[in-house]
Amino acid sequence: MNYGYVGKCARINLSTGDITIADTPEDLMENYLGGNGFGAKILWDETGPETDPLSPENRLIVATGPICGTFVPNAGRVEFVFKSPLTGIYGDSNSGGFLGPELKFAGFDFLVILGKASSPVYLHVEDGRIGLKDASHLWGEDAVKTEELIRKELGDEDVKCATIGPAGENLVRYACINVSVQRQAGRSGGGAVMGSKNLKAIAVRGHGPVCIADPKRFYEVAVRLKKLIMEDEFYPAVSAYGTPGIVSLMNIIGRFPTKNFQRGDFPYADEINAEALRENHFVKDIACYACPIACDKIYGVFKGPYAGAVTRSFEYETLGSYGAGIWNRDLPSIIALGDLCDRLGLDSISAGRAVGFAMELFEKGIITKKDTGGLDLTWGNVESAMTLTKMIAKREGFGAVLAEGVRRASRAIGKGAEYYAMEVKGQEIAAQDGRAQQSMGLAHVTSNRGADHLKAFPTIDETGYPSQAVRRYGEQYLPELVDPQATKYKAWVVKDGEDFAAVVDSSGNCKSGGTFVLAQVYWSEMAEAISAATGRNLTSDDLKEIGERIYNLQRCYNVLCGISSKDDTLPKRLLEEPSPSGKAKGQVARIHEMLPEYYALRGWDPETGRPKKETLKRLGLEFCIDRGAAS
Amino acid sequence: MFLYIDPSKCTGCMLCEAFCSFKKEGAIWPSKSRITVLKWEEKAAFIPFTCLQCERPLCAEACPVGAISRDSKTGAMVVNEKRCLGCKTCVLACPFGGINFDEEKGYVVKCDLCGGDPECAKQCPKGAISFVHPDRMAPKKKREAAAKITSLLEVVAPVKKEEGEVA
Repeated sequence: MNYGYVGKCARINLSTGDITIADTPEDLMENYLGGNGFGAKILWDETGPETDPLSPENRLIVATGPICGTFVPNAGRVEFVFKSPLTGIYGDSNSGGFLGPELKFAGFDFLVILGKASSPVYLHVEDGRIGLKDASHLWGEDAVKTEELIRKELGDEDVKCATIGPAGENLVRYACINVSVQRQAGRSGGGAVMGSKNLKAIAVRGHGPVCIADPKRFYEVAVRLKKLIMEDEFYPAVSAYGTPGIVSLMNIIGRFPTKNFQRGDFPYADEINAEALRENHFVKDIACYACPIACDKIYGVFKGPYAGAVTRSFEYETLGSYGAGIWNRDLPSIIALGDLCDRLGLDSISAGRAVGFAMELFEKGIITKKDTGGLDLTWGNVESAMTLTKMIAKREGFGAVLAEGVRRASRAIGKGAEYYAMEVKGQEIAAQDGRAQQSMGLAHVTSNRGADHLKAFPTIDETGYPSQAVRRYGEQYLPELVDPQATKYKAWVVKDGEDFAAVVDSSGNCKSGGTFVLAQVYWSEMAEAISAATGRNLTSDDLKEIGERIYNLQRCYNVLCGISSKDDTLPKRLLEEPSPSGKAKGQVARIHEMLPEYYALRGWDPETGRPKKETLKRLGLEFCIDRGAAS
Repeated sequence: MFLYIDPSKCTGCMLCEAFCSFKKEGAIWPSKSRITVLKWEEKAAFIPFTCLQCERPLCAEACPVGAISRDSKTGAMVVNEKRCLGCKTCVLACPFGGINFDEEKGYVVKCDLCGGDPECAKQCPKGAISFVHPDRMAPKKKREAAAKITSLLEVVAPVKKEEGEVA
């Protein structure tokens, strides 16, 4: 009998059509927990530095965790792990919606997809059975429409899908995976991995149970956590506004990247903030599986040139990348651009950043209308942004250059363009400026999938949340811990956040729910919930070790792929150009004040950035030493 | 008392299904839930649907062995599992899909209002499902509808404030 987990996994070889179903390996459950951890271990075992991310040899691991599909609040996440075509290193992306729970109701903890189909297919998973279906007629369809068409074709409104759009088909290196209509596993280019495999979609339907080891205790824990979340002081705001709620706050602290990170404050932020959204564009609150918050909203444009645009999962990030990032104060156009990215199947962070990067090159005269095929890329030119985004998805003209990501694009363009490529390890930086929040700068640098806020997700010191900080870490770390400009304790906050996020992403729980955004659910609460669900007696310390193990394994994979301490850095602009205006005026990102402490806390060699042998031995990762990843 | 469902408040989170199935089946098992959130994802229309505990219960009328009867305490139509033949006539008779046959059990299952303390209403985070008395329902609904006429409230509010200041 399986508890928490449903006990089965499947391997699908698209080249041969072979599909094998097996028991979920005990070693994975015990040492890697689920989702993120499962994916990291399988990727480590089956791929390596020699694997071309867009070749049949790459793996796409779709994994759930032990509390995914239960009623622990926010436990509806699914994890996609693959070698990233954008960064060439470990890649992952996580999504809410309903796909993860449905996969468990269908009887699977995870799927491993490899090979390449000879023509477009989609995977059909239903109640323990898996088949491949022709997707020739869906190829070229937009990612959102594809899910609707599959539901119709299968004659079941309750089928849940992961799909790709034209960007994934055209192997745009930051193509996303669309999940449950219009939610996204956005980062790292999973959509291109699916495209390279001729895999248009994964359709899942299940009618089975997720069983619980200790029902009485589990119920008590889940109901208590739900109450904690709903009584949190920030619940009403997060519930009403979702992530766009922080636009104004981030602008006030100078952490809202504007004009491709030239500055951290956008003078027109009030025109694109949550209040403006809610007032003019709000349609409906919608929730992911088991979520009492419903931070997701449907927003629509009702008049003007973009009338008819509708979007969901419209986040702070898109308001950053396609708003302030390209000097665009026209909110309806940002909604339309978000909708466009979803349909084309583009990560709206990387895509918006690519457009912003191009606009800055245009401003600096590094590229001209001759390079852009006549497009006027002046800051804020919305129509050009729209056209360029479509060109990226289709790899047309200058779009083909940007479809490679800003790192590769900047190298192809040359003439000093590299300076304006705002990326770490090849991943475009999301809407945070490390000059305004020191811990976030470090988080971008140490994230295993390249620049990203969601690996360490340091939220406590964004604007300073003392009550949350005291609850989570204790009084003794104040005031530095909540001071965004202080570097003291931040290495530890980032390291702890990374380990905790690895566990959350492995459990099936959500980082935008009670674990980070509302900071109510921490190690002990996660340990209680997972233990009651699985019947494994896990303590906070056990989970910390699992988190560390997962994070170190991903780092070792990156080491094999050539990553070293010299890659743990930010673009020069953030290190050397002081923020020119706003609250962070005069500040630079001081990652070098924190990195030595970070490496020490991690047990990594500060010179090479590789995990030390004793660290890997302590975590049971001796096999990483054998493969040459240790210092 | 009856379950009053307001689809405009439903966010589609499925917590009602998860909790209902857990209470009734001991596992998180939405397909066995007595309440189902009907979804039209593209339209973002979510409607929680369950047995309406009809005053003229066609399920009971259709049952050839009288296995379905009203619980006088809760008002719920309940199934006598021992008496149920598993003939599924009630499933055919119900116009709403409010009663279903459980293959493993061999008898029909339906919402029994959890003996007067329905779990779905207790766990719904957005108040889309409430367990209410008919007499108190109409005023509640009227008040909610009236609150949407914001212009009215805005006219009244300043007057009240002035009164408060005088007092």
